[in-house]
Amino acid sequence: MPREIAFSDVLVPGLLPIFVGCLLLMWLVDSLVGRYGLYRYVWHPPLFRLALFGSLFGLAGLLLLR
Amino acid sequence: MSAASMKAGQAARRWPTLAEAFAGEGRAWLFVAKSLLALYLAAWLAMWLRLEQPSTTMITVAIVMHPHSGMVLAKSFYRAIGTLCGSAFGLALMCVFPQQRELFLLCLSLWVALCAGGATLYRNFMSYGFVLAGYTAAIVALPAIAHPLEVFDSALMRVSEVMLGIVVAGVVSDAVFPGRLRLVLRQNARAHFAHFIDFVRGSTGGSIPRAEMEQAHLRFVRAAVQLEDLRASVIFEDPEVRARSTRMRLLNQHNMAAATSFQSLHHLINRLQREGRAAEVDALIALYRPLGAALTTPAAADLHEPAVLAPRLRECARRLPALAAELRAGLAPGHAQLAFDTGDTLLRRFLDELCGYVEVELALRGRLLRGSVERVHFRRGNDATGALVAVLRTFLTMTTLSAFWIASGWPFGSSAMLLATIFSGLFAALPNPLSSAFTMLVGYAAGMLAGIYAAFWLLPGSDGFAMLVAVTLPLLLIGPWLNAHAELAGVGGGYAIGIVYIMALKNPMAYDPVHALNDAIAQLAGVALAAAAFVFVPRVTGSGWQRRRQVRRLREQVVLAATAPLAGLPWRFESVSRDLFHQVIVHTRPGSRPSRELLGWALAVQESGRALIELRQQLRADPAPVDVGRQVDAAVQAMAQLYRRPDAMHRQQAEDAVRAAIDACAARPALRPRLYQLLGALRDDESPLAAWTPSMEPAHAP
Repeated sequence: MPREIAFSDVLVPGLLPIFVGCLLLMWLVDSLVGRYGLYRYVWHPPLFRLALFGSLFGLAGLLLLR
Repeated sequence: MSAASMKAGQAARRWPTLAEAFAGEGRAWLFVAKSLLALYLAAWLAMWLRLEQPSTTMITVAIVMHPHSGMVLAKSFYRAIGTLCGSAFGLALMCVFPQQRELFLLCLSLWVALCAGGATLYRNFMSYGFVLAGYTAAIVALPAIAHPLEVFDSALMRVSEVMLGIVVAGVVSDAVFPGRLRLVLRQNARAHFAHFIDFVRGSTGGSIPRAEMEQAHLRFVRAAVQLEDLRASVIFEDPEVRARSTRMRLLNQHNMAAATSFQSLHHLINRLQREGRAAEVDALIALYRPLGAALTTPAAADLHEPAVLAPRLRECARRLPALAAELRAGLAPGHAQLAFDTGDTLLRRFLDELCGYVEVELALRGRLLRGSVERVHFRRGNDATGALVAVLRTFLTMTTLSAFWIASGWPFGSSAMLLATIFSGLFAALPNPLSSAFTMLVGYAAGMLAGIYAAFWLLPGSDGFAMLVAVTLPLLLIGPWLNAHAELAGVGGGYAIGIVYIMALKNPMAYDPVHALNDAIAQLAGVALAAAAFVFVPRVTGSGWQRRRQVRRLREQVVLAATAPLAGLPWRFESVSRDLFHQVIVHTRPGSRPSRELLGWALAVQESGRALIELRQQLRADPAPVDVGRQVDAAVQAMAQLYRRPDAMHRQQAEDAVRAAIDACAARPALRPRLYQLLGALRDDESPLAAWTPSMEPAHAP
């Protein structure tokens, strides 16, 4: 994946679409986990969600911009 | 007083006032610490990322921070949307009119005005999104007005800065000692459930005095609106609540429907009692008694436990028809049985809705949700005229400022416009704009003084980020501290924005006292003009004119119940009528004449509207012969006409039409109780319609 993408002639960093994609993925994961109440097994749900998002984004970014 | 502060009071008995003064300070300081952490983190990140104006990021944080993280996340979500829309519009505007300042400013004023109008339409943070859409368009377009070619870069920078601020505020408030709004929601929802069940249980003895009924209605409406408001914020905080959101809406709707049925039933019993018809009253109370028994659980701990209540209520509902048949046989045929049938229908409806309410509550308390439920919405009764007035006022403010700017060639006109934009939107959504505008102005001025002091006396001697934190911390923490105290929040909001704005932190820092002072004067002028506009175009909310208009709209809900398409109508009717009522009642003094009058109308609207919807649904489910259908339709239309224009003539016409329909429905036992309920509502001598009821007529002869 290129580092910069021309989005209607505007150069945007390649990480931006990945970020947006990760947000959508996170939203999906979040609603699934919320539906089954799995966050109850976590000590600090917001921190866990933040860390989960960080891992997702980091992983996707590293894999796609390798 | 909370338990913690009680303990503190015992410990420091010698200085009780001191302990009282410090009650809740712990939470306030936690909020201060979080706000400062977010502010400095945002500033550091903005400088590290080499953004043009770290102060925009800091202002964003200052505006968004709130003690409850659900509020911050909700605010941030709508703020992000508002920012994107606003910057897109600012960019488009700059592309269309790069060299036409009159047209440019006119369009910008119109956009800001429309956004301020949109902000008054909504009562939660969506209103904030509108404010931001207007404000961002202004901050993107105005600074670039002298260099139109740079508008794109400017827009990109502003959006990055605002977004960074949002992300930092959201992460800090959600991850560091979060204040959970969910707990508030759960507590409120449980308290309301317990309250409702207690109220139903406590009133099985028979009639409820009118005043008590009014108070109960008021309380239930408040709870319904408040729960909906909370729910709309908490879904951003907690994915579990988001998954339960549909059920929580359904719960609220079941509760509202049950409350209406319950009130209708009691109106009926009260009316029968006043008319001295003891046999029917006794029969209805006897029919009602098993419900009280079902709600009185053997163990006191189970009194509000839906898992215990639900099967007991279902069992009660199953036994009801047999009991009703038995009691009905004991009454004289004709009028007495008709009155009893009406009560029986209402009680069954109520019991059905109560079962639904308790079962949804039971599902919500469970750990796991299964299946899906009906999607319902809490509809709001928005007031378009109030929004139009806000649009007009903001438009006037902005065009006045633009004209002054163009005519005087004021170099700092854009600052004044920018501040007027922010505060027109913020003020438009406030309950008491003139006095809040004044307190905010005071806070803003104080914040600017502190900012100037920090920027020109403290900062020049400091070096590095640590020193920056050290010198600005004592001044910055005043804003969030004031914000954490509800009665000072207006001053705190102004202060927090003012100090960050005028300090204009940058890396490297630019020191320009002349610029800063000119800017400060322009900003104050902008805020003052936004406030002054309320003198010329006063806010309509809370005025007698708007109250009369909203009471009329409340009455027109009955017209809607009589004429609108039936799909989804019951839900819509219940929520809109309550929302309208809630909007008006907050502006009346409790116990005053307008307040009593409004309560009277609200109860009448609730009863008649719901009865009309039930009647129409029954007619649709089980079509009657043409001539009967026509009579019933005529009665429905006559009711609509009465609520559209309540006077003696229309009341009489409605009563005649309903009586005729009851006679025509002799062979339709399902329709008659509903019509009889309408007739009772028309003849109720405690409802506002009683003013037009001829008193000499005999009370019953259908």
